[in-house]
Amino acid sequence: MSGPLAGVRVADFTWVWAGPTCTMQLAHMGADVIRMESMRRPCFIRTLPPWPDGRPGLNRSGYFNQYNQGKRSILLDLSKPEAVDIAKRIAAMSDIAVENFAGGVIDRLGLGYEELRKVKPDIVMISMSGYGKTGPESGYVSYGPAQVPLSGMSTLTGYRDWPPMHVGMSYGDPTAGLHAAYAVLASLYHREKTGEGQYIDMSQCESTMVLLGEGIMDYTMNGTQPPRSGNRVPKMSPHGIFRCAGEDRWISIACGSDVEFAALCEAMGRRELADDARFRALADRKGHEDELETEIEAWTLTQDAFELRDRLQAKGVAAFPPMLNRELAEDRHLNERGFFVEKEHPEVGVRKHAGIPWRMSATACEVWRAAPTIGQDNEYVFGELLGFSSDQIADLVAREVIH
Amino acid sequence: MACALEGLSVIECGPNIAASYASKLMADLGADIIKVESPAGDPARTLGPFPGGKADPEASGTFLYLNSNKQGVTLALDKPKGRAVLDRLLADADVFIQDYPPGEAEALGLTYQRIREANPRLIMASITPFGLSGPYRGFKAYDLTVASAGGWTAVNGWPGRPDMPPLRAFGQQTAYQAGVNAAVAVMGAAFQQLKTSRGQHIEVSAQECIVSILELTFVMWSYMEVPAVRWGQRPIHPIDFFECKDGWIFVLCLEEHQWKSFLDMMGNPEWGEWEVFANPFVRASNWDALKPLIQEWVSEWTVDDLYRAAQTKRIPFAPVSTMADLLNSQHLKARGFFAEIGHPRTGDLKYPGAPYKLSGTPWELRTPAPRLGQHNEPVLGGRLGLSPEEMASLRKDGVVA
Repeated sequence: MSGPLAGVRVADFTWVWAGPTCTMQLAHMGADVIRMESMRRPCFIRTLPPWPDGRPGLNRSGYFNQYNQGKRSILLDLSKPEAVDIAKRIAAMSDIAVENFAGGVIDRLGLGYEELRKVKPDIVMISMSGYGKTGPESGYVSYGPAQVPLSGMSTLTGYRDWPPMHVGMSYGDPTAGLHAAYAVLASLYHREKTGEGQYIDMSQCESTMVLLGEGIMDYTMNGTQPPRSGNRVPKMSPHGIFRCAGEDRWISIACGSDVEFAALCEAMGRRELADDARFRALADRKGHEDELETEIEAWTLTQDAFELRDRLQAKGVAAFPPMLNRELAEDRHLNERGFFVEKEHPEVGVRKHAGIPWRMSATACEVWRAAPTIGQDNEYVFGELLGFSSDQIADLVAREVIH
Repeated sequence: MACALEGLSVIECGPNIAASYASKLMADLGADIIKVESPAGDPARTLGPFPGGKADPEASGTFLYLNSNKQGVTLALDKPKGRAVLDRLLADADVFIQDYPPGEAEALGLTYQRIREANPRLIMASITPFGLSGPYRGFKAYDLTVASAGGWTAVNGWPGRPDMPPLRAFGQQTAYQAGVNAAVAVMGAAFQQLKTSRGQHIEVSAQECIVSILELTFVMWSYMEVPAVRWGQRPIHPIDFFECKDGWIFVLCLEEHQWKSFLDMMGNPEWGEWEVFANPFVRASNWDALKPLIQEWVSEWTVDDLYRAAQTKRIPFAPVSTMADLLNSQHLKARGFFAEIGHPRTGDLKYPGAPYKLSGTPWELRTPAPRLGQHNEPVLGGRLGLSPEEMASLRKDGVVA
């Protein structure tokens, strides 16, 4: 394991998507992340597709394997006191503990912050519950998909005069995971300077609200909120996604200035549009946006999306087709940058996964291993790290404390 | 109580909001941020929303939100004297975060190769749409085109309505994502810097930030060769919006026990036992048939009653909140989520607060966003020690606004 967090250990009690996104950031930077999993209640996303050949299996989910790269996995039955003691021994050897059960569950398991700090006084621990640990709704259950509407994002997103919409992914999950990783690292920094650990109470739905500043500030300033406006925005025009030649092919185009708009008109072979009184300046274009979009789409309809992108980019116009998953996987830019991770996995072989979206020059970050199969690291953690003999391990397995 | 990042010195500049967001996250946990704006001002000053809708560079909601707790100076980085002043700021800093596109950054001399000479222990983060290498590095980009390049807009739209275009999410989400990724990477490097005094360069690609959060969309291709479709890859149902008597509710049953509880709640209608709805996958295949049945039942409820009733049964439904709902939420009030701070132009206003509470070190709004050049004197005069004559000459040359 390499990266700026080499030597840092993480006791990972997370599951589903938000928590694992947090701990994957730490693994990306070289932390040794030990996921404690349950056979009685395996991580929910281990049971979701995609599976190679469509054949389900706890170790075959691409969803799980994407968000658990570079971690270890052990199997414990935390309903048994001995397993809780083992989890505490792992926490005692860790710098960070992360959990995202519904509010209060970790305390009932006997693994809350007050318990963990007894065995590791300077531990940094974060709880990432849907609603946070305080407040009248703190006991409510929440998952990433619900945090998009709950946070207010859905009433801001959507086509003009259409109902509120989702955003195409469970945005609350990765957003919570990334903000959690940031808060953990800020606390680790503080610990390195002062020797003091601390506890972080994180609310997943609030982590989406903080990305809606423009909408919330409109309300607190003016008592209104921005109307759903499809792909349009107040300060740029054109700003849309236009149909291209071929079935369901499109291109996004955004002009941030009159100069960029003139370049677009030139690419269209319609230089006169830039001088048209309806389109000359931003305010003109905003006042005639339907007409403008009709003109543009009449042209894009006859064009290949990718050829159009390259022609527009050559003229300094921001344009990009909405990339399909296959196009991303085959994209020459992402491949040339070495973004994708393809590590051997015992059950799914070599598959392409999204990698680390940053590069560090001195402490290089890399995914050292594919996502773990369930319990893959029992031997290393129980044997090597905790020092159990093989007889002790066999006994724990026989009594179903570990699996 | 001291803040977590007290003493961490950060310089931030650039025309996009990614760098502003990364350094905001750090400012709110106590880092000392100097924001360097061009004499014309950060473009976020033009974005609004504005009080009463009236444009005012000192009252743009986007700018105010992103830049509280920072000190602001103006420097013309396209002039050698401006760069020289920036280099002096960088010489004593721990972190430098900038989001100029690659070509502009080079033209302004903001390359790591040059910056490291000013301060070898500096962590420099460069946030760009496509990264600093590869065939797209010079591509022009805005939030909409980055969201498209990252595969996001292709999975957002209305299910079953291919006549409607792929759709962006509200706001400037790609910049926020790039910003929080940068903050994560910078804090990792800052931890290392504490131990080894090692500086380094971090480059963050906004496109890659989006590809890495596509849920199961990307792996749908690499595991099963299933192409992306609008509204994500929803292999299971129910996950959808429904209209109540007085607004919208989000109906969600992810785990099977939640579906069973929902059936109980609906009085166990017999269609719950039909084979076509027997598991989450066939419910997804037959969603067109199931959706109207649920809609009929939901339409008898108010949002709040259904939300509370479902949560009582541990079913993760959620209201489809407006901004007003957020500001009126008893839960958010009890948590103290919104933070209020005064500002000379707007008066007291509520801002979104922090999504986390750190037990030993506070998150706090200490000062409102700086007015343009507000801290030129204390930072350039006081901290760097430029004489009044030097300051006057920089002003005369248009280096400082």
